Amino acid sequence: MSFLQNALLLGLIEAAPLILAAMGFTLIYYLSGFINVAFAETVTFGAFAAVILTSVFGLNFYAAIIPASLLAGGLSSLTYLGFYRPAERRGIDLTEMIILSVGLSFALRYAALLLAGPDLYYFDTVSPSYYALLGVGITSFQIAALVLVTVLAGVLYFFIYRTKLGEMIRALADNRDLALASGINPAKISGLVWFIAGVVGGLAGVFYGVFSFVNTYVGWNLILIIMMVSIVGGIGSIRGAIVVSLIVGILTSAVSLVSSPIYGEILLLSVFIVYLKFRHRRG
Amino acid sequence: MLEFLLSNYMVFSLSTVLVAMALATLLQLQFGLAGIVNFGVVGFWGLGMYALGFIHLTLGLPYFAAAIIAVLIVAAVSLFIGWIILDLDSQSVLVATLAFGAIVAHLVTTEKWLTKGVVGLGTVPYPTGSGGGDPAVVLGLFLLLVCVVLVAYAYQINRAPFGRLIAAIRDNELLAQGLGKDVLRHKLVFFVATSTAMGFVGVLSAPVHQFLLPDLLGPGVTFSIWIALVIGGRRSPLGGIVGVLVTIFLFDVLVEIAVPIPQEFQSSVPAVKLLIYGVILIAILFIRPLGLLSGPKPSETTGQG
Repeated sequence: MSFLQNALLLGLIEAAPLILAAMGFTLIYYLSGFINVAFAETVTFGAFAAVILTSVFGLNFYAAIIPASLLAGGLSSLTYLGFYRPAERRGIDLTEMIILSVGLSFALRYAALLLAGPDLYYFDTVSPSYYALLGVGITSFQIAALVLVTVLAGVLYFFIYRTKLGEMIRALADNRDLALASGINPAKISGLVWFIAGVVGGLAGVFYGVFSFVNTYVGWNLILIIMMVSIVGGIGSIRGAIVVSLIVGILTSAVSLVSSPIYGEILLLSVFIVYLKFRHRRG
Repeated sequence: MLEFLLSNYMVFSLSTVLVAMALATLLQLQFGLAGIVNFGVVGFWGLGMYALGFIHLTLGLPYFAAAIIAVLIVAAVSLFIGWIILDLDSQSVLVATLAFGAIVAHLVTTEKWLTKGVVGLGTVPYPTGSGGGDPAVVLGLFLLLVCVVLVAYAYQINRAPFGRLIAAIRDNELLAQGLGKDVLRHKLVFFVATSTAMGFVGVLSAPVHQFLLPDLLGPGVTFSIWIALVIGGRRSPLGGIVGVLVTIFLFDVLVEIAVPIPQEFQSSVPAVKLLIYGVILIAILFIRPLGLLSGPKPSETTGQG
């Protein structure tokens, strides 16, 4: 019972940043139709922005969250407007878009490595308060992450499925030509989606960072799991991304409780590969 | 000059360049010719390398016997992976193969009873004794031969009926199927052959690296081969070779020899190198999407891209 409780609660906490990252990644995957590897760098950038804001500018952790994630959103839409959109207009195919994102990811990551060095950074100027919840120790930052994820997931869901703008996004993703014919401005909508995705990804980075540490590989180390969650969750399904992230978080923490976390990842990746085959058979 | 070329360090550097060239040429066949987005290069290569190390060092079988068994193991795994991925869409193939590579790298780190984990798996000796010349040079020359054979094969298959069939499947799978071709079986045969060859290159890489560490199997291996191929030209049989020349050879060998880098900047060299790879990759996709050796224009009949 207590094992189950621990696995569930720790899994929920672990899943919180993953849900954020997967939602952001899924939005781009849904709209633009390709795996954006450079999303990893958006996550890393958010984490670094928050570290700098708290340690150099002395901001409170909660106050730093907002500008850090907005900056990550800015980076995300800049990569879209500066690289992906021009590439799209040149008629580059999907695989080439992915390769482009790999190039962008390398360029950004190693530029960051040159600037920040290989050190680990910690949020050491801010300290959380500790609570006990159902017998599990939990920090105020973890509670903030859980609350924020819940709120943001709800807001995003409402935005995509219930608002006029969300309808335009879905129209653009589902049938580009028809959307263009009905007067939707693709540059504006896409720029907005990439911005939102970046904000959510940056937030994920902030919480990953505050749960452990920050270095230039934060996003890169997670990108495989993020891609996996988005693909298993179903292309463009925010709901799917949330559910799969939760399963992944709980599964990983359950394995981590009995053995090394690396086995959790091996298990996840294996299940994922087999699932792809199974899903294909069914579909 | 010859003496310098034959120094231990140069033989090692050039051998790793040849390994990269062989892998890039094989990836050219998989991606350029067959359109299989294999991001698990490091998995097949690393599996061959570690299987050889384990059988040769831990079980004590001679190198050549160990090499054969290691190649068979990679063939069996390739068959399994091929069966799983080849009827998926290309983005799922990408992520699934990337996951496969990560699983191999993780297992090498965790299964200490098999691989001795981060401590490293002993020292793999050169396959030839010191009788017929410096064994490191002999191995390097053999790697060169492997590259030549692979490029020759890549040229030959472009003209052969089987190669044209594979390319036809890449361009329009449904059409090829409609013409009565067993698309999946042909793709699987081709994938298993080329992935097993990657494992064979791994078998040859074990004595090049001598001391096997999990660090050798980072995702960087796959990505640097991919970057080299895309820059070199994925539609040309020589694309992999040219790509490795202008990336890995240029930065790891030429720059190292010719450019005196002050001590205090030494540590940032790898980051600068990878940053430049990224920038070149972006530039090439905008300027010459098909790479330096653009090769023939993509077929007009491309169905859904």
